[in-house]
Parts: sequence; C-alpha cells; structure tokens
Amino acid sequence: MSDPVQLFHTCLVNEIAPEVGMAAVRLLERLGRGVEVPLEQTCCGQPAYNGGFHEEAKAAARHTLDVLSATAGPIVIPSGSCGDMVIHQYEVLFRDEPEWRDKAHAVAERCRELSQFLVGEWAQVPDRPRLRLPARIAYHPSCHLLRGLGVSDAPLSLLRAIEGVTLADVNDQDECCGFGGLFSVKQPEISGSMLDRKLASVAASGADRLVSCDLGCLMHLGGGLRRRRSPIVVQHLAQVLDEALP
Amino acid sequence: MSQTPAFPLRVRAALLDERLHVALGRATDALRSRRSAAIGSLEGFDEVRDLARKIKMELLADLSSHLQRFEERLIANGVSVHWAETGADANRIVAGIAKSHGARRIVKSKSMATEETHLNQALQREGMEVVETDLGEYIVQLAEDRPSHIILPIIHLTREDVGEVMHRRIGVPRTGDPQTLAAYARAKLREEFLSADMGITGANFGVVETGTICLVTNEGNGRMVTTLPRVHVAVMGIEKLVPTLGDLDVFLKLLARSATGQKITTYTTLIRGPRRRGDECGPEAMHVVLLDNGRSRILSGENAEILGCIRCGACLNACPIYKSIGGHAYGDTYPGPIGAIVTPGLRGLRGWSELPAASTLCGACRDVCPIRLDIPRMLLGLRRDTAREEGAPWSLRLGLKAFAWIAPRPALYRAATRMARAFLRFRARDGWLRRAPGLASGWTRVRDLKAPAAKTFQQMWKERQS
Amino acid sequence: MSARTAVLARLAAAQRTARLPTPPAAKPLVSATRSVAECGERFARELAGLGVDGHVESSPEGVRARVSALVEGKKVLSWDPDQLPYGLGAVLGEAARGSSPRADQAAAEIGVTGCHGAIAETGSLAVLSGPGRSRTVSLLPPVHVAIVTPPDFCFTMGEFFAREARRIGEAACCTFITGPSRTADIELTLTLGVHGPGKVVVVVGP
Repeated sequence: MSDPVQLFHTCLVNEIAPEVGMAAVRLLERLGRGVEVPLEQTCCGQPAYNGGFHEEAKAAARHTLDVLSATAGPIVIPSGSCGDMVIHQYEVLFRDEPEWRDKAHAVAERCRELSQFLVGEWAQVPDRPRLRLPARIAYHPSCHLLRGLGVSDAPLSLLRAIEGVTLADVNDQDECCGFGGLFSVKQPEISGSMLDRKLASVAASGADRLVSCDLGCLMHLGGGLRRRRSPIVVQHLAQVLDEALP
Repeated sequence: MSQTPAFPLRVRAALLDERLHVALGRATDALRSRRSAAIGSLEGFDEVRDLARKIKMELLADLSSHLQRFEERLIANGVSVHWAETGADANRIVAGIAKSHGARRIVKSKSMATEETHLNQALQREGMEVVETDLGEYIVQLAEDRPSHIILPIIHLTREDVGEVMHRRIGVPRTGDPQTLAAYARAKLREEFLSADMGITGANFGVVETGTICLVTNEGNGRMVTTLPRVHVAVMGIEKLVPTLGDLDVFLKLLARSATGQKITTYTTLIRGPRRRGDECGPEAMHVVLLDNGRSRILSGENAEILGCIRCGACLNACPIYKSIGGHAYGDTYPGPIGAIVTPGLRGLRGWSELPAASTLCGACRDVCPIRLDIPRMLLGLRRDTAREEGAPWSLRLGLKAFAWIAPRPALYRAATRMARAFLRFRARDGWLRRAPGLASGWTRVRDLKAPAAKTFQQMWKERQS
Repeated sequence: MSARTAVLARLAAAQRTARLPTPPAAKPLVSATRSVAECGERFARELAGLGVDGHVESSPEGVRARVSALVEGKKVLSWDPDQLPYGLGAVLGEAARGSSPRADQAAAEIGVTGCHGAIAETGSLAVLSGPGRSRTVSLLPPVHVAIVTPPDFCFTMGEFFAREARRIGEAACCTFITGPSRTADIELTLTLGVHGPGKVVVVVGP
C-alpha cells in the first residue's frame, strides 16, 4: 500500500467548486490511494504575486510551505496555475531567502498537478476501472499547465482512456482563454475579446463539453458560455473522469 | 510620460475596430503558420536557439569590451563612429552629419532605432527632406500614421486604405490592387533613391570581428539606400552586436524564419565601410551612430536579457493580447510582449506601467522567441516594481493587507471567506451573478460569475470523514 | 566627458549589477560539407521554390548562347568583361557598366553578374563588390542574370564565411541575394520587384 497523498485543494476549489475536490478524492481512492487534506491550507498567494505584491504573496506562501512541510508523501494539486506557483514560482519568490527557498524546493519536488499524477498512477494500477462516458469534448489546455508545467499529453491521454469520448478539434487550441487571474477584472475588455475568440473556436468544434484542468479558466469560460446561454457543459477534468467511473 | 491618449482609451479604440481585428487575426495567423513551416526546415531548431541565447548572454556580460573592439574595426574600415547617449543626441549627430556633407535629400531604410528617437521629425525641423523607402514605412509616412507591427508596419490598413493614401498624397490613380500600388511606389521611390544625398539605415546586427553592419531586407531598399547616395549613416542600438561572422550565421538562421517564415530574407547585406579604391559605386563616406538611449540602464538590472532581442516580431504574432489590441495600443515604438518590457525600460516605468500589467502571462511569447527570452519572468518583475513605486488604489491596498493578514491564519481566513461567500450567494440568482460588486464588477462586464458553493470542500470533506 | 566615455562608463557599471541568466550549454553549429553535385541539386530545388529560373549549361558556348538569348534586344548593364566567366563579355555588346553614367545604368533592362558563392541550402547568390563589379548591376535593372561556376558552390552561408573570409574583408559590400525583390506589406499579398529586380535568372556553367 503506497503513501497517502496530500491534497492541496486550492482556494477556488474550496470556495467555488468543492465538487471538483470531491471528484479528485474519489478518483485517487479508486486508484488505491489514501487521501489526506491538510486543513490549515488557505491560498497559494498567486493573485498577489502576479499583481506584483510580493510581500503579501510571501505571507501566503510561507504559510502554505509550513502547512505542506508538516506532511509527507506526494502532494496533488488540481490546478495548473496553483501547481506552477508552488512548483516553480515559490523558488523565484524566495530567491534571496535561502532557508525559504530550500523549503520551497523540497515541497516542489513532492508536488504534482492532478492529471500528471493520475496518468502515472493509471499506468501502474493492475485492475483499472473501465471508464465510460459518451461525450464530445473540447479540451482547453490552461497556459500555466501547458507552458509553465509542461503538461500537454496527460489530460489528453486520460480523456482518451474514456470509452465513448471523442476529442473535438478546437482551432488555436493552445491560445490563452483570457482569464489570467486579476487580468480578468483589470482588463475586462481585452479578457472579453480573448474569451470571444476561444468560445467561437469551442462552438465551431461541435463539442458538448468543455474540459480544463484549471478552475480559473473554467470560471471564465463557463461564465462566458452562461452569458451566451450556451448548452455546453463546463467541467474540470476530475469531474469528467469521476463521472466516467463505473 | 506617454503623449498619446491613455492606455485604456487606446485599448478600447482598438477593440471597437472590427476591421483591425480581422486584419490582425488574418496576419498573425498567417505569420504563425509560416513560422511553423520554416522552423521545420531547420534541423535542431531548439539547439540553434540555445546557441543564439548563449552568444547574446555572453556578449551582454561584456558589452563594453565588444563595443570598443567593434569601434576599432569600424574606424580601421574607414567608418566614422559616433556615440549617442540619448535619442536627442542621435538626432543631433545625424543632422550634423547631413549638414557637414551638404545633404538635404535623405532616403531611409527601415530602422526601429530611428523611430525610437523620432529622427525623421528632427531632420525635417532642420529643413531636410526625409523619405522612408520600405513600402510599409513609406505608406505610414504618407499617411502620417505610425507603424503597428515590427515586421508589417501597415498590418492595420486594408489595400483600399493604402490606395486612398497614395492617391491623396502622390496623386496616382485610385486603386486597391497591391501589385499596382507597389509599382507606383517603386517608380516614385526610384526617383528618390537616384537623387538622394544621404542614406540612413538601422542595423540588424553589428559584427565585432570584422567591423561590419548587417542589414536584412526583402525589398531591396536597404541596398539602394547604401549604394546610391554619397553618404551612408547607420544608427545602431549598442546591444545589436554579435562577435563573429560565424555567430552571425546562427542569427541569420533564426531571424527570417521567426519573422516571416522565410529561410532567409531576399537581401542580406554586409557593409564594411565606404566605397573602396576602384569601386564605381557606394557611399564616399560612412558613419555609424551607436545609440544608448536607456539600453545601459536596462543592462544594469534584472531585465538585462531583453537586450538579446533581435526584433523578429514572433512574440507579437504569438501574443493573444496583441492579436486583440494591435500595435498602436502599446503607445510607443515597440509593441507586443517585447514592447511591454522595452518601453518601460527605455522610457521609465512611470506612465508605462499598464503595459506589463496587460498580459495573462500565458508564455506563448517565450515559446516562440528565437533567443528564448523569459518574457513572463520580466513582466512579473516589472509588476513588482510598479507595486513598489506606484502602490495601488486604496481599496486594493486594503484588500491586500487583509489578505496578507488572514492567509496565514486559517481560522480568520475561513471566517472572512464565509462572509464573502454568504454575500455573493445572497446576490446570486440560480447560482450565478450577472452583476458583481466592487473590484469584481469588471468580471461581470463580459461574463457571468458563478456563485460560491453552500459548503466549502473542507466542510464536505470533514462530513465525509466522520 | 565625451559621450563615448559616458556610455562606456555606464556600461561598465551596468555589467557589474546586470542580472543576466546563466547562458545555456550549447554546441557550435556543425557545418555540413557536400559535394558539388549535391550542392547543385539542392541549389536548383531552392531556386525553384523561390521562383528563380535556373539553367544548367554543359559548355562555355552553352552559357554564352543562353545569356545571349536572355539579353537579346534589351539594354544591358553588366560587370566588366574581365570579371565575368565563360568569356561572356563577348556576347554582351554595348552593355553599360559600373563606370557608365548613372542615368544609363538606371535605364538598363537587364543586369548580368557573376558571383562569389552559390549557397545551396537557401538558393542564395553571394556577391562581393569591387572594381568592375558595381553593386548597381544586380540592383537597378528589373531583371538580374547571375552566372555561377561550380567552384562557387558551398552548402551553407557559414561555409561561405569561412571559405571567403579574406575576400569578404576586401570588399566594401557583401550581399546575399535570395530570389527576386519582394514585399507582403499590403494585406500580406506577395508582390515582386518592389525596389530590386523582380526577376532573377541563374545560369550554372560547367
């Protein structure tokens, strides 16, 4: 029996879409992994960091590192952007503070974004559950997941493992959706222009579902689809896989 | 301080311009796919990029020595070398060179460095006639417009726009046919080339070991401008050096592929100096103006690597923000991701801090950059500098202080978020808000806001475990 | 303090505080040497892609006949005869040269040059300026005919730089010409012959 995983659920999952967290838990348990949730976690600090407010970001980062350092074993994060923050940006943030930088490095080594982790587990599990779900899915690779963490195949191979799923062809699939954290409220018109382009591609793909690994993107895309009264269902990868479980 | 209207106004104007949108989309899509095809033809593209980055980073670490050696070789080649601390100095120097040679009619090949210094206006104030000769820049000059893309200056104009400009300004019959328009330009500019006293260019690269200026063009105006007039002046940013001809080869493999999707541009010209004994053409005198204008300040900080930029424009074509707002919205010589760093670097952060903020940090620029410049890292650094120097509106500062206080205190964090959740849920209908309050009002301008859940994940988790 | 001193001083100070990333480890480019035949073949393919007419002649008479046909009835501007291979001076008649009045040069309809390098990888012609080899010949007329001899071939530009370092050092100008002059400035529509020649013809001799 392998180590339980620590779930760094992220603030957006906690407050806005807890069902994504529950889906992730069910997936991990189904793959034979125990799950623990460090209850003291709050926020990784990315919005403050991206806004240029490093001292405030550090306050959140130090707490996050303390909480995670008090645990052992793999840390799973159902978000490309929070994943990139903890895995890469913490060491940049603490570049001039060797003690915190080393702590960040040790934590970063244990962290995996959810799809990254699942794909590894999936390959190793002897009696894999049979995933089934008829759906035409447009996949949106979030930028921090794709370019920050270099994760491009994992979500796709997981989706392809589901019987009945067709992956729709999305034009300019890798282009940013326009969320960008605080950018979405500080530059709403540019954000909206990029949203328009992305949703047009998604609509043209004929998909009935839009799936991503980042809640920020999903809120932005989902909010746009809702405003347009679109029937396209918006889901986190964890929710699709959970739904496909027997 | 920027002299054009404020950034939000420029952005809004651009977003409302449907024709601009179509033009930008079409052009950047075409350039991106051409680039993809071209890099496919270069074996080991990523290794060549690593080599280019290595050459530039090592050069920048010792730029002053390389510049001195470059100057020595230029002088040995018979070139007069001038140093310009600021753009105004460069303009003054070029005007002085023109006067000393009795030059009144000047032809120019595209040079971003001279756009940065506003050279044309300075020369015109001295009573000289300056004609841009790159087709796109010529149209920009006739239209009294500004270029909107590093490689395709009139990407924002339709063929009918161009026809209208040429009809109004040089009296040719109105037409929208690009071939015909180009033919008119060729004829008109040929007169200019043949009668000009002085030619001004930029420099894509300066080769230290040979004291050579390298110009990369497709039209042939770069050659005209450096062959026909009796004086040639090249204005070059001090960072545009490469150590050897062998190093130049590395950059030539990357530049055209990244910029236009060509393996190499039509004309790659290496100029070593004025005409030599026995030459029947070529300038009698050649001058190089080495331009600082803030580059040394950029070198002194953590954005030093941006000086490795070779002005290919690939980042513009990859950037979804540039695709939405175009080049003019950036308000200065260099648009797109590169502009968001260079403009505050050269002009100072004050008045330009919105540029590094107008990005989602998606990283598409870094992916395509031939020098692998880490643009997102530098944008984050500029945002940190902005926060330090300019602070934030009081509401945001209060929110940040609150965040910094509660984020390390889970009980307080839970209490605060519980209040926020309750507030938003109260305002929601069917689990959504169509109009969010305060800071979040920007959100609901273009999309609905999903209301927070009744229970947090941690609450659901605790219930499940008990 | 002169501007030069000021700039160099600022740079020296900047270099001390510059936060430059560690340069990546990178191998130098490996230059691929190929046979003349391979070069010729690749060169021909590149020319075709550029829209350049390429002709291969197996004898000096063949080269002269080809060039004669190309310049027939046209005002010619050319390099001096002693700079051209295959005795081409003989078939060019009363051609204008670099020493001719500029108006005559500008009126020429076809320019004839040799070259110093034919770069197979890109289909480029390397041309070095010098006495009897005016730059205007490959620039002013609307058509440019370039004569290539087999020793001119090399595979890459890097090879050319290495091989011809001395001759490059003696020329005021070294130009690589890759196809006809072009622009896509207007709505990305390709137009040829904007300032330089709109048509390039290459004749490769024995």
